[in-house]
Amino acid sequence: MEDLDLPQMKREVESLQYQLAISREKSSITVTELVKWIEGCVCDDPFLNPELMRANPWVEKGKCVIL
Amino acid sequence: MGEMDTLKKEADGLKTQIEAARKAVNDTTMAAVASGVAAAPRVQLKNRKTLKGHLAKIYGLHWSADNRHMVSASQDGKLLIWDTYTGNKVYAVPLKSSWVMSCSMAPSGNLVASGGLDNMCTIVNIKAASPKTLRELDAHEGYLSHSRFLSDTEILTASGDTTCCLWDLETGKQKVIYKSHVGDCMCLAVSPDQNSFISGACDSSAKLWDVRDGGCKQTFIGHTSDINAIAFFPSGTAVITGSDDCTLKMYDLRADQEVNGYQDAALNAGVTSVSLSSSGRLIFAGYDNFNCNIWDSLKAEKVGVLSGHDNRVSCIGVPDDGLGICTGSWDSFLKIWN
Repeated sequence: MEDLDLPQMKREVESLQYQLAISREKSSITVTELVKWIEGCVCDDPFLNPELMRANPWVEKGKCVIL
Repeated sequence: MGEMDTLKKEADGLKTQIEAARKAVNDTTMAAVASGVAAAPRVQLKNRKTLKGHLAKIYGLHWSADNRHMVSASQDGKLLIWDTYTGNKVYAVPLKSSWVMSCSMAPSGNLVASGGLDNMCTIVNIKAASPKTLRELDAHEGYLSHSRFLSDTEILTASGDTTCCLWDLETGKQKVIYKSHVGDCMCLAVSPDQNSFISGACDSSAKLWDVRDGGCKQTFIGHTSDINAIAFFPSGTAVITGSDDCTLKMYDLRADQEVNGYQDAALNAGVTSVSLSSSGRLIFAGYDNFNCNIWDSLKAEKVGVLSGHDNRVSCIGVPDDGLGICTGSWDSFLKIWN
């Protein structure tokens, strides 16, 4: 990791000022909403809803294939 | 010397303020919020297909948006485009440089990109009469570690020169350069709305960027080694990182901080690759120890393992329809599981 030169350091300080200024939301809200979002999608997730995995494109449909 | 010291002090001061601002909004834990959620079931997947054809280590794979085709890159000097349903190779693209480190396919399926130690990103039109090189994007000063198309006319690249770049494929020129990392950029992931992307680097940080103005919006710290893999949650509000420090972390973009960590005292292998199931509930992570572990993203518990490769799992991907997962390995095989 190289040390920054002067112009890079100035840019880094500007960037940090910008990053400090963003608005942050309380994790009690954001994490709760994230958990809710994921839970809401689980029924559409083929790995977690076996019904959806029935149409499995990588499994042979019949036992034998007539060539 | 004086000005440099002043700036360094200012930078350190700002970082401290950022940490304080993060602490101020950190009024709960994922463990607390997820305590009421039922544990994910044990996930036991079968290896449905093994794609054989590469003759050396596989370094990258990327699913097509059609959920059926896939491109893979190997240091045997080839990109292979597969029809994963039949296991057939549809196209083989010979590479000028065999030291490839990544590959990607455009959402349209018309173009593939690859690059590595040649410092270039080569764009090939695979729908032409025979695969034809469209562009050689040649401005990075270090290796190309990762790339992702936004469309047939724009691509994002991550490089060992510590920058990421947005390229215009019509002119072959750089449109935006993303400079802030102080270590090699190893990976990138695009947000679902394509307005931002996240990069992971050898400086142990992940950075969120505005695609259009090149500004670094947020920096996520906490890892203690190179971040090799990164993925957006389908909601676009969180990201998962995988690192040489053997852990994965979930960063919440809205609260601007780490909200969950995935590690195991017994696990002594770096994370090489990461992908999420369509809901984001399952995290698939490839490790140096030849396995892929499956984690419950909410409870931070291991719920499954994919073992079958004889060497490092270097890349991993779930297609958009979420019906399976593909692992690519240094053992030269790709395996599809569900």
